[in-house]
Amino acid sequence: MRFLNHLTLGQYVPTGSVVHKTDPRAKILATLSILTGVFLADQWQVFALWAAFLTIVVVMSRLPLSMVLRTARPVIFLVVFTAVIHLLFSQGTPIFRFGILKVTEEGLRMAFKMGSRLFLLVIFAGTLTLTTSPTELADGLEHLLSPLKPLGFPAHEMAMMMTIAIRFIPTLLDETDRIMKAQLARGADLDSGGIIKRLRAFIPVLVPLFVIVFQRAEELAIAMESRNYKGGAGRTRMNPLVWRSRDSVAFLTVLVVTVFLVFLNSRMSLV
Amino acid sequence: MSIVIDNITHIYHRGTPLETVALSGVSLVVDRGEWVSVVGHTGSGKSTLAQHMNALLLPTEGHVSVDGVGVEENRARLREIRRKVGLVFQYPEQQIFEETVFEEIAFGPKNWGVPGDEIPERVTEALSLAGLGETFKELSPFHLSGGEKRRVAIASVLAVRPDYLVLDEPTAGLDASGKRELCDLLHGLKQKGTGIVHITHDLELAVSVSDRILVLTGGKSRLWGTPGVILEELTEREVPGLVMPPVPLFSGRLRELGMDVPVTWNAETLVGAIERCVGK
Repeated sequence: MRFLNHLTLGQYVPTGSVVHKTDPRAKILATLSILTGVFLADQWQVFALWAAFLTIVVVMSRLPLSMVLRTARPVIFLVVFTAVIHLLFSQGTPIFRFGILKVTEEGLRMAFKMGSRLFLLVIFAGTLTLTTSPTELADGLEHLLSPLKPLGFPAHEMAMMMTIAIRFIPTLLDETDRIMKAQLARGADLDSGGIIKRLRAFIPVLVPLFVIVFQRAEELAIAMESRNYKGGAGRTRMNPLVWRSRDSVAFLTVLVVTVFLVFLNSRMSLV
Repeated sequence: MSIVIDNITHIYHRGTPLETVALSGVSLVVDRGEWVSVVGHTGSGKSTLAQHMNALLLPTEGHVSVDGVGVEENRARLREIRRKVGLVFQYPEQQIFEETVFEEIAFGPKNWGVPGDEIPERVTEALSLAGLGETFKELSPFHLSGGEKRRVAIASVLAVRPDYLVLDEPTAGLDASGKRELCDLLHGLKQKGTGIVHITHDLELAVSVSDRILVLTGGKSRLWGTPGVILEELTEREVPGLVMPPVPLFSGRLRELGMDVPVTWNAETLVGAIERCVGK
């Protein structure tokens, strides 16, 4: 058993697909466009169309669908919790009652809407990180935020911080996996008992993990400083980003899909 | 009474683009009171193999048993297997979390249900085995030196009194005297009947301490036998990623030049043989 085998959050999986080869700026802008569209959606038909669009993107990216779906694993609890809260506590026409709890038609609709919205938001964002390396992501973000530099916005530093954070997610998952195994080998029981017992059982994992995180952060800072890292000023690039016509096509396609689905959603809401 | 690894294969991330065959058709037997080293370069599958020995990983194919208890068909007995087979990970000092050395070492025995009045005795015994005095008991493990932290981590596994001890690169980062002290400690445990599995990339160290050696490359078993057999084999053919230690390399070259010396890893034996050859 590999204990954290099922988490793919923040992981880049190169397959050489057309999605992978698309300019990171186009992918970031496209993802922002999609996220806005998903956020504005409230009709189940529109959610279904977004899911179909996601499937097309995943097929084009040559990633297994199961791997993409696993990016939502860490937020499944949040999705279910949000859906249940809306299901049980929304006002409206009751469908059935169970003691003091009642499920309303509006609650059911809201639970589906919030659950689908959160799920799709996370999956689309996960697809971006699965198909874009941290370096490309940072370069793309820095380029997109660079117009704000004259206003004093630390575009390079923000991009670098995000890259490091994303880059370290798989590393920290590996470290957590290793520490969990080490404590299990010493007889720790991490799986049984109630929530309090389980939380207490995780102390032997969390304390060493925090120590490692701070050590890693310090070592990384020293390693960067020792290689004369002083922020973005004066830094050159080994692979400058080049915006090609296919990137325009990709971004415009997503933009058109988003505008169409937002329009469709607004028309259906009026009916 | 032994750990039996029978023709195991282990595949990580099966069915995904990240699929990696870490082990393929590997077999190994470790008896109690025996020192077996598993040697290979980085990425050869050594650590994956180590984790199969105490059921932290289960094989994708093949069979693992500890003292006759099969791992796959006895999943309810995995904890029993983990108690029998102590596993010391690489850089074990990174698993430390308790406030005092005493509590850190007592962590394992408490988990395995050792009676409370027996725990101080176990901690003292483990500290002594690991070459640390009783004065360490009340110290914070986070304030110890790197070498002392590693000893505390090893003591925390020894306190469970495992029948087998699997150590993943235990000498990584230790100086020559630290390596020697650790090997002496393991040798003492072996004499008392503990089976030792030593995972290392250091062939020179392995041939000097082991009863038998398994050489892994690319997740496959390449050589298996006594240090003498392994050195004979290595003089016959090259194994990718493995560098012959200087003493056997030198003795092999002398044999090629027609000198009647044995292939050996022991510098004193080689010097004696050369002296005899030159008639000193």
